[in-house]
Amino acid sequence: MKEEGKHKKAKKYGMVINLDECTGCGACMVACMAENNVPFREDESNKLDSIAWMRVYKLTNGKSYPEADICYLPRPCMHCEGDHGHSPCVSVCPATATDYNYETGIVSQIYTRCFGCRYCMAACPYHARYFNWWDPVWPEGSTKYLSPNVSPRMRGVVEKCSFCFHRYQLAMDKAYLEGRTVLEEDEYQTSCTQACPAGAITFGDLNNPEHKVHQLAKPDNKHGGRPGNPNVFRLLERLGTNPKVYYMSSREWVRQAGDNYIDNEDFAKNYRH
Amino acid sequence: MDSALIPEGVTRCSFGKFALGIIIVGGVLLWGVYAMMLIWLKGLNQTNMNDFYGFALWIWADLGVIALGGGAFFIGLLRYIIGKDELKNIINYAVLIGFICYSSALLILAIDVGQPLRSWFIFWHANIHSMLTEVAFCLSCYFAVLTIEYIPLILENRQLNKVPFFHNLAHNMHEVMAIFAATGAFLSFFHQGSLGGTPAVLYGRPFAFREGIFIWPWTFFLFTWSAAAYGPCFTLFVTRLTEKITKKKLVKQNVIDLLAKISGWTMGTYIIAKIIDTWYWATVTAPDMGSNLIDFYSNNPFYGIWILVVEIVICGIVPALILLTPKGRSNPTLLFTAVLLACIGVLLNRWVMVLQVMAVPVMTFENWVMYIPSWQEVATTILPVAYGIILVMISFRYLPIFPQERELNS
Amino acid sequence: MEIGRRSFLSFIIGGAAGTAISPLPWKLIDDSSIWSQNWPWTPVPPDGEYSQSNSVCTLCPGGCGITVRKVDDRAVKIEGMKGHPVNDGGICVMGLSGLQLLYGPTRVKTPLKRAGKRGEGKWEKISWDEAISDVTKKLAEIRSKGESHAVGSIVNSDSGTVPNLFKRFLTAYGSPNFMTMPSMQDSYNMTMLLMQGVSAQVGFDAENADFILSFGSGIIDGWGSPVRMFKANSAWKVNGKKVVQIESRLSNTAAKSDKWIPIKPGTEAALALGIANVIIMESLYNRENIESQSGFDAFKELVLNEYSTDNVSSITGINSATIVSLAKNFAQASKPLAICGKGQGSTPGSLNEFMAVHALNALVGNINKEGGVWAVSESDYIKWPELEMDSIAESGMQKERIDGAGSEYPHAKSLLNRLAEVINSGDGSLGALFVSDANPLYSMPDSKALNTAFDSIPFVVSFSSYMDETASNSDLILPNHVYLERYEDVPTPGGLQKNVIGLTKPVVTPQFNTKNVGDSIILIAKALGGSIADAFPWDSYDACLKETLGDKWDVLEENGFWSDSDSKVATGEFNFYPDAMKSLSSFSSVSIEGSTISYPLVLIPYDSIRLANGYIGDPPFVIKTVEDTVLKGKTACVEINPKTGKELGLTEGRYAFIHTPRGKAKVKVHLYEGIMPGIVALPRGLGHTAYDKYLAGKGCNFNELIGPAEDPISGLDAAWGIRARLTKI
Repeated sequence: MKEEGKHKKAKKYGMVINLDECTGCGACMVACMAENNVPFREDESNKLDSIAWMRVYKLTNGKSYPEADICYLPRPCMHCEGDHGHSPCVSVCPATATDYNYETGIVSQIYTRCFGCRYCMAACPYHARYFNWWDPVWPEGSTKYLSPNVSPRMRGVVEKCSFCFHRYQLAMDKAYLEGRTVLEEDEYQTSCTQACPAGAITFGDLNNPEHKVHQLAKPDNKHGGRPGNPNVFRLLERLGTNPKVYYMSSREWVRQAGDNYIDNEDFAKNYRH
Repeated sequence: MDSALIPEGVTRCSFGKFALGIIIVGGVLLWGVYAMMLIWLKGLNQTNMNDFYGFALWIWADLGVIALGGGAFFIGLLRYIIGKDELKNIINYAVLIGFICYSSALLILAIDVGQPLRSWFIFWHANIHSMLTEVAFCLSCYFAVLTIEYIPLILENRQLNKVPFFHNLAHNMHEVMAIFAATGAFLSFFHQGSLGGTPAVLYGRPFAFREGIFIWPWTFFLFTWSAAAYGPCFTLFVTRLTEKITKKKLVKQNVIDLLAKISGWTMGTYIIAKIIDTWYWATVTAPDMGSNLIDFYSNNPFYGIWILVVEIVICGIVPALILLTPKGRSNPTLLFTAVLLACIGVLLNRWVMVLQVMAVPVMTFENWVMYIPSWQEVATTILPVAYGIILVMISFRYLPIFPQERELNS
Repeated sequence: MEIGRRSFLSFIIGGAAGTAISPLPWKLIDDSSIWSQNWPWTPVPPDGEYSQSNSVCTLCPGGCGITVRKVDDRAVKIEGMKGHPVNDGGICVMGLSGLQLLYGPTRVKTPLKRAGKRGEGKWEKISWDEAISDVTKKLAEIRSKGESHAVGSIVNSDSGTVPNLFKRFLTAYGSPNFMTMPSMQDSYNMTMLLMQGVSAQVGFDAENADFILSFGSGIIDGWGSPVRMFKANSAWKVNGKKVVQIESRLSNTAAKSDKWIPIKPGTEAALALGIANVIIMESLYNRENIESQSGFDAFKELVLNEYSTDNVSSITGINSATIVSLAKNFAQASKPLAICGKGQGSTPGSLNEFMAVHALNALVGNINKEGGVWAVSESDYIKWPELEMDSIAESGMQKERIDGAGSEYPHAKSLLNRLAEVINSGDGSLGALFVSDANPLYSMPDSKALNTAFDSIPFVVSFSSYMDETASNSDLILPNHVYLERYEDVPTPGGLQKNVIGLTKPVVTPQFNTKNVGDSIILIAKALGGSIADAFPWDSYDACLKETLGDKWDVLEENGFWSDSDSKVATGEFNFYPDAMKSLSSFSSVSIEGSTISYPLVLIPYDSIRLANGYIGDPPFVIKTVEDTVLKGKTACVEINPKTGKELGLTEGRYAFIHTPRGKAKVKVHLYEGIMPGIVALPRGLGHTAYDKYLAGKGCNFNELIGPAEDPISGLDAAWGIRARLTKI
């Protein structure tokens, strides 16, 4: 909370993902892979070791045919702030290889500093962190499409979604050259947001009332960023991770699937705080 | 052949038999070294760990050996600071076991990290908020302490001790050993505690998370106290095992009895604290996070509520009761059963705090994930065991580990 | 000097201590860490000058605009083009992965001539001159024997300059056998022809509709122009428009719809007519406008007599109340729209179904109306000079097509689905076959039979950029540039209600020794000489394209697309009850192969936007996104209802064999509550044998398990499934 006072102008970049609009097409996943030089291997069907900074989960309502229903849920890194000012992963990294940027609210990962202890992975309840179990190998000729904006990771380090931080840096560089210090909303957008054919992802500064994310989520910063919009929820809100990715759904079962509840009464009591 | 190196007044098996033993265990060691090289060269893809199991067998082994090696600091504390003088007859062995355990832990950590060449970044770029940083610092320092404690023992080898410098050095080191014992106890308190804090600070993992006092979750104290309780049991267990293998009485019963009794008390108090902790966690902490106790023990093929019963009752309350009763302590079978159960209990506790944490789904749309280690992981976990056996064999043969051995076997 | 034990020990200890306090170990530790941060085998992408280039994606017929980000001469990222009339910045998984195709390992890098047996994978690299002359020689030989009609070509569609160059070439050469890959567009085109009397593409004003009744169309599973449909779907959500999805499986589209109504597969036409019945019975239509239209009385009689709610309920398995309320909601919506074409619409389907659905649209009066179905006249920018045929060409063009299109099935333009049977039964043969921009050996139903048919074609030439199944089984490959390396026009994507023409541009220089297929055709024609050469007056394909596009060229070059200011409507008189519809007087669904006794289950395909099932297979990024309940290791998963699983003793994750009258495959069982009991669903797009290791050998190809079912009216493939059996392994 100290930081809030110190950094009055601090931005808090975040996302609102409209699950009613999300079609589960996977464009966000591939947009992310293509943007961030994510490696791939011959068999990626073992999802326990398949690197996907953005992963789309398929949720089911648990009911029988024909009452069955499914919903897709894209899961980037949540860039948790933590209710007590530290995100679950940043506080545990022994080598300060992952850091919380108070200017943007983005949780970074320094690949060359990470020595692969994987404590952060144990800390992250969202499974948003991935370990490079293998050396990344691209088929012959395919290194040509690698982007110089994001360095490919070596074997033995942890990687994760950065909210395309390099895009923030590029946008800021451009802004400074033009003599500005503030970015327009559309100047900095993540690759997944930009690609989503359904327009289900909204990205921006949660602290900026003019940004769409703020208007959709109506975050209550006095209470750990809890959403003010009744259709908006966050994953595992009850753990106090204070994530910056908000989800929106008109279906109650989807909202309920966002967190653990002992029973319906618990849901009713805890969903709206 | 090597009789000149063997301590005076004791008998040892023939060199041939000794060498054969070394070769057999050495074979296992080499198997482990082969697996270790595979992992270092090819990377951690040689394991069955995955993104759900970032921590697995090795971290369990680390936590396990450090708990078992806790005998060194606690017996040192009792001997040098509290003044339980009889314990000088078992402290050497406790130090040796501790040394083996801690060096094993460091070795496993060096295999476990993805970038071993950069593992020193934990010191260079230390994040003081991380439990692992504290573990790394205290562990390395305490390992240095253990080395210092082990050195005079080496210098007491019959031939080395003939060198006046070594003789004097050993003597002088003995003189100041209380300082090191105190340092060791201090460091151990923190790193054992930090290891307890390692899972408990994971507030994203309701199964592991514990509330606490200031920056210390309750398991911080539970881990320290359990190391104090169960570590000496492992010392007793290994001592008893050594006695059985060498067919010699090495430590007098009153020493054993004293240590067992102290262990009984620490274990008894620990298990009460552990029950309170579990109770509070099950009824307050976990429900606040939206989980019932039973959620952590159902819908999966392995982790049932049985595991809690085994850990707390069979491997906690039962050995504590045996060790607290004079009859239990005086009956060799019961005593051996108690220390064995205790060792299993503490290992099980560490297993649960590492592997079950990884297995329990947190997001409602994920499932339990089970894990079976690869042979490379198993081999590298057995590697330190083999190394420990070899070090014990050599140390027992050539160093005066047990001050009472000559007297008991004359 | 004698070295005693003491001095030795002192030396060792002193040495160790000395080394430790020297910089050496620290330097080594530091250097090794720096080395680990710069492993030479971990690539470092070079930086350079950044630029952007707009083009069009041709990986599917969707026609999305793309913006390619470049660093120097390397393309590093493909993004959706902002402001493009089709996709406005959106993009799909395939489009995003285009660079993996451009630079990937599946490229055919130079002309190849078969060296071993066909399909063996042994190739000889040859020069372009040799390749062109090989083709020319063979064609000249066939022509000289008077068998010019025995040369055929298979291309992806019949619009655009490249397909038309093929068509022109075959015409000048003397063969009517210009074949195209089938799709639902064929059925829609025929529906337009039969019911509206126009030759037009169907267009849907989806964005403006307010009640979308989809008969199994995978609106968000890749149907139509996929990104456009995603956008429409989101707009419906935002604006509270309703979508009802009718299909036997809870697809993504069904899950996102406002109401999912499971139906017995194959009975969709009956439901459409049942809805019409309710609308007519309850007078929920504009009687004045509709009743005067031709064929209405007969149509009314048909639906009243045969498609009563109860009757339809028993045919479709949907309860009567649902049918009635669905009909009322549909008719009472202000802009209702009914669409069909199952899944991605990659098979044409039953013509009756298309006509019934179209009649439903007509009944609610939404033909050529805002939010309705439009008959769009194709933009006819291809105005090439009339070609002069020599006598061989003339006689060749007189011959009947091998697939029976235009003769046996008078309305059909191309019936590739019949080719295998015609050849295999000895009713026809081909002496040479060109395949371009298509992979029929993978994507045609009953692909095994087509493979057998190919075996009897002595000369197969592939123009594929990739080593796909058809290219692997050809005799000669004349590799085309990838779309990011060439110019080509992209005709209006299916389903758009106004013409939007796109232009792919060479974003990067050709990476390998490839040639634009248009140039290959022109070169072959010129080499053949005579009237064939005369039919191709252009120096190059690019020159041809530029000339063809005329005044549109500058706009296309600048913006990447050209669009009509408003829709060009093809008007004709609507007929509610064309002759072709008479077979509906007693409903029977298109029968599928297999007996109910030996095959108690029904296997249906399902489409996923994450599984490309056409010419191009999934690139590595896309196959990576496929869920482990769809593909696990090398095995594809089938979806069955847990009830069916229980009856068969199959639990989640069990391996099983699926048997159909056409084949057998190993599959993994995925129990899914979203599928009708008794049905087995298998994804399309898996089971490739060609392409790279990231795709080949994974899962089984649905097309190898299904047989063709000829639609009695159109002759197109109308199979919606096949009977099947699951056995435990």
